[in-house]
Amino acid sequence: MAGHAVEHDYHLIPPSPWPFLSGCAALVWGLGMVTFFAGLVDRTGSSPMAEWFFANGLDTLKSSLTGDGSLSGGWIILLVGCLFAAYVMYGWWKDVAAESAAGDHTPVVDIGLRYGMIMFIMQEAMFFVGWFWMFFELGLFHKVRATWNPDILENAAGYADSMAPGVTSVDAWHLPLMNTLILLLSGTTVTWAHHALMHNDRKGAKWGLFLTIALGIIFTWLQLIEYAELFHLRESGHEAWIGNNAYGSAFFMATGFHGFHVLIGTIFLFVCWVRLLKGGFKPEKHFGFEAAAWYWHFVDVVWLFLFAFVYIIFAMNGVAH
Amino acid sequence: MAGIGYDDHDDGKPGFFARWFYSTNHKDIGTLYLIFGIISGIIGGYLSFMMRMELSEPGIQIFENGHAYNVFASMHGLIMIFFMVMPAVIGGFGNWFVPIMIGAPDMAFPRMNNLSFWLLPVALICLLISFFVPGSASGNGFGGGWVMYPPLSTSGAPGPAFDFIIIGLLAAGFSSIFGAINFITTILNMRAPGMTMHKMPLFAWSVLVTAFLLLLALPVLAASLFMLFTDRIDGGTGFFDPAMGGDPEMFQHLFWFFGHPEVYIMILPAFGMVSHVVSTFSKKPIFGYLGMAYAMVAIGVVGFVVWAHHMYTVGMDVDLKAYFLAATLVIAVPTGVKIFSWLATMWGGSISFSIPMQWALAFIFLFVLGGVTGVMLANAGVDVALHDTYYVVAHFHYVLSMGAVFGIFCGFYYWFGKMSGYLYNKWLAAAHFWLFFIGVNVIFFPQHFLGLNGMPRRYVDYPQEFELWNQVSSFGAYITLAGVGFFLLMLVEAFIRKRPAGANYWGDGATTLEWTLSSPPPYHQFNTLPRIEQNDEH
Amino acid sequence: MRLVHNITASLALLLIMPGIAFANKPTDGGYWLQDAATPVMEELTKLHNFVFWIILGITLFVMVMMGWIMFRFSAKRNPTASKTTHHVGLEVAWTIVPIIILLVMVVPSMRLLYFQDALPETEMTIKVTGNTWNWEYAYPDHPNVESFISNPLEKEDAGDLYLLKTDASLVVPVDTKIKVLITSSNNLHSFAVPAFGIKMDAVPGRINETWFEVNPGKEGTYFGQCSELCGVNHYKMPIEIEVVSKEDFQSWVANDGAFTTAVVSYDNGSIVLQD
Ligand code: HEM
Ligand SMILES: [Cu+2]
Ligand SMILES: [Cu+2]
Repeated sequence: MAGHAVEHDYHLIPPSPWPFLSGCAALVWGLGMVTFFAGLVDRTGSSPMAEWFFANGLDTLKSSLTGDGSLSGGWIILLVGCLFAAYVMYGWWKDVAAESAAGDHTPVVDIGLRYGMIMFIMQEAMFFVGWFWMFFELGLFHKVRATWNPDILENAAGYADSMAPGVTSVDAWHLPLMNTLILLLSGTTVTWAHHALMHNDRKGAKWGLFLTIALGIIFTWLQLIEYAELFHLRESGHEAWIGNNAYGSAFFMATGFHGFHVLIGTIFLFVCWVRLLKGGFKPEKHFGFEAAAWYWHFVDVVWLFLFAFVYIIFAMNGVAH
Repeated sequence: MAGIGYDDHDDGKPGFFARWFYSTNHKDIGTLYLIFGIISGIIGGYLSFMMRMELSEPGIQIFENGHAYNVFASMHGLIMIFFMVMPAVIGGFGNWFVPIMIGAPDMAFPRMNNLSFWLLPVALICLLISFFVPGSASGNGFGGGWVMYPPLSTSGAPGPAFDFIIIGLLAAGFSSIFGAINFITTILNMRAPGMTMHKMPLFAWSVLVTAFLLLLALPVLAASLFMLFTDRIDGGTGFFDPAMGGDPEMFQHLFWFFGHPEVYIMILPAFGMVSHVVSTFSKKPIFGYLGMAYAMVAIGVVGFVVWAHHMYTVGMDVDLKAYFLAATLVIAVPTGVKIFSWLATMWGGSISFSIPMQWALAFIFLFVLGGVTGVMLANAGVDVALHDTYYVVAHFHYVLSMGAVFGIFCGFYYWFGKMSGYLYNKWLAAAHFWLFFIGVNVIFFPQHFLGLNGMPRRYVDYPQEFELWNQVSSFGAYITLAGVGFFLLMLVEAFIRKRPAGANYWGDGATTLEWTLSSPPPYHQFNTLPRIEQNDEH
Repeated sequence: MRLVHNITASLALLLIMPGIAFANKPTDGGYWLQDAATPVMEELTKLHNFVFWIILGITLFVMVMMGWIMFRFSAKRNPTASKTTHHVGLEVAWTIVPIIILLVMVVPSMRLLYFQDALPETEMTIKVTGNTWNWEYAYPDHPNVESFISNPLEKEDAGDLYLLKTDASLVVPVDTKIKVLITSSNNLHSFAVPAFGIKMDAVPGRINETWFEVNPGKEGTYFGQCSELCGVNHYKMPIEIEVVSKEDFQSWVANDGAFTTAVVSYDNGSIVLQD
């Protein structure tokens, strides 16, 4: 039988440090998350060193946001974890790009990568299903819940308030509409870039991609402005702030996770752009770029759902005064 | 067919550290998963043994208080599910045999495969840390059950113990999601020439369906874990906090939307393994192959629309309950198809009762027992009496401790020689089987009685009326422990004696591709892809 | 050895068990549902027994089949295996027959579900609140009866009824349709009384309802236990219900709820008596 000559087109990979290092990074990151959001030690002042590392970092953030700045620390482990993870991702994807350039991505491997990316996007979609589910439950059924014997229910008032009446939700026709247009536009620019690349018009591809990235950044920027405005309104209690009521919670977590995905997509596109500038990608083979574009479209679609339901429909329901 | 030559000189094996820590080889990673599963199984087993000892008589003997007991119970559930069963069936056997069975040299994404593995020890470390950090006012650790219902997991468990569990489960979840992507891609894209979907071995089918369940169910769990995480933060969200307009029951919906597919994630690969074993030792091809494959697909699909049968007593609308009642009963039909097809496979066969076959036969019988109590529980009206009692505990241990775990041992004894290259000692293996078989039945059968008679679950102490069956049940734990002892002995003995296993030590009945390779297979198999003949075998 | 003794004792019990009446609480070594005190529990028991015979039949069928196959087709008796892998009729049969069985089952099952769940015209309401870790009972229809807390009794006081007995039972009249409103002040709990066939989760921020009607002649004390994990003392918040005749209930109400002599509160793990 055949000795050692490899006669198939699959891509067998030599041992790689990245997965193991990813695990290490995940451990540091996880420790950092718990420290930052929950805190492992109390701030009693008895052991400043341990507290600087392990006390609740969110409190630090809050104290600096409110400008009093009396607390410090608690964020370092999370930061190290994030940097560690970023380093691992960089190394890992660099290897992948090198392998691609070396021709390891034969047609069958290329198809595998496509399957992989589709599956990845499917699981991302299910992740958002979770958030939308929450949102629909709160939006559609809160009035039903509030009518359940409110007279005996001690916190019935808080309950009835779940979102309407009293919640002034974000006006869909200002920044959100703007953002919708921006994302739709970016969907067209990324398609332009793709077509240009396929026709070996590298200059067009670079411009298309550059504009897409720029639009992505503008989107994130506008979203931050919106959050900042809401932050200033939060004191009134009825406004849609994350910790004010379940509507605010659902609103911020859903749009927040979407924003996070926009960020990832932007970085993904940015990496493709750099590869393009450096002479990477060929008209017939550029799956890295396509994957980024698919991801971008996915993020776009999620936004359309958010816009339609979270901003428009529930806002119509919620803008009662 | 003779084994493919296995050349010792130049098989491309890297050095120790690179081989086991930087691995990109599906068989090595599968081995890592199996070792990890055994370690977790021992930890989880220790936790359950302590619980059984506590319950062997009324009064509080071992634990400091109810919280400590709840911590053990919660961690037992989480560890057994996420760190024993899933790594063993999917990560271990799936990694080892799915590529081989479909005639592929490795998984589609070998590096990501290793990431899936390494996220698990990270996750387990997080869970183990949680034991030792403050949980609630009553002590360290998290005692809110493996289902983690709020408010007990939000305002009821203020310490960081539960945050560690959330992080750990997120890591385990991502591990499974990456694994699922890997399996789906491998199975859809890397089948050998001639290996059509309808010729693919049932184990590969079972892993394919499982992978889809993982892919679609776990992200919802991840979302709900994030909700718990932010709800727990001071000044954070209020998804499950009624004072903020949230709803604690929403978590249960999200959780069980993941949770019910999860129970099938644990059992489907066992279905696959048992099918191969039954066919091998009956010396007959699987009866009704297509029916078997599509029954699993049906179970997977219907499994997504029955979740609220875990929530019959939360105060749901009666019409909703009626729907979930009906939908749940539907699952019994494809499950029945599987059982009867196994019986029909054996019918007319020439059955030899070797160790794996004993596990498989026991699996079928005990799984039926667990399945029929599931049918009882599906009746929402009756479930009112049985929900959250020991009847449910008996039900899910019959399908898990005896279903999934028997499936795991079945596969383990079937493939042990293939994976290690050594034969095990039959007597030790038989002792393991019989002690385990008797032990788990003694533990769990009386729990039906306890449940019917009204004993609620998750109790550290109970009224004296429940003493008898609890005693019997705890006695069974000793028997099972002895069985586990023989399992470990069997392992040690096999690796000391090193009796070499041939390429196909089961003979004619074993027809899948792994039996065409040496035991253990070469470091990289199928440098030349196998070609599957076109005659229809099924 | 105690275990051996217990087993022999209960084997004897097993034989005579169906003959003796069940109490209103778990029975020593009991292996079946508790005795029904309400129409719902009667129906529930009937359905359970009906389904039980079906699943027993299925289990025995599979067992016997397996035994026969293992005997008849062992390698010794049947050295050469057949190669049959299909039989359409058979495959259709084992899909259709289970469906028929399930259809037979689903009809009474739905009937029970709707009987249980659809609240009839009730004659009286009680309100149950789960606290960590005791139950609070209120009688909205009888404002003169103050709501009270029902705490578990410690072992010294409860004796054989430890983990069932409380210091203040919920008092209800027999032969009366009673609506139960259930909620919780913090964690989840579940209000469960096996003999009544009720179990309903107590959820903060939500009021669940269920109902029961104790059959005439079934006056007595009934016990239940919290059935949803609620923390450290989940095992220790029993439910005790005293079912009295309508007349006794009337006088109890007239007495402002008077056979609860001492109101007890649970403070920091120790019992505080207040007169
Ligand atoms: C015929 C198929 C089955 C039916 C009809 C069924 C039905 C049910 C029902 C109605 C419950 C909820 C009981 C309650 O909490 O009151 C339940 C619980 C459970 N089932 Fe099944 N089941 C089936 C098969 C399985 C299988 C194959 C597994 C796993 C391998 C499984 C694992 C579980 C688990 C783990 C629980 C309890 C979860 C918990 O509350 O902690 N079931 N089953
Ligand atoms: Cu389920
Ligand atoms: Cu409880």
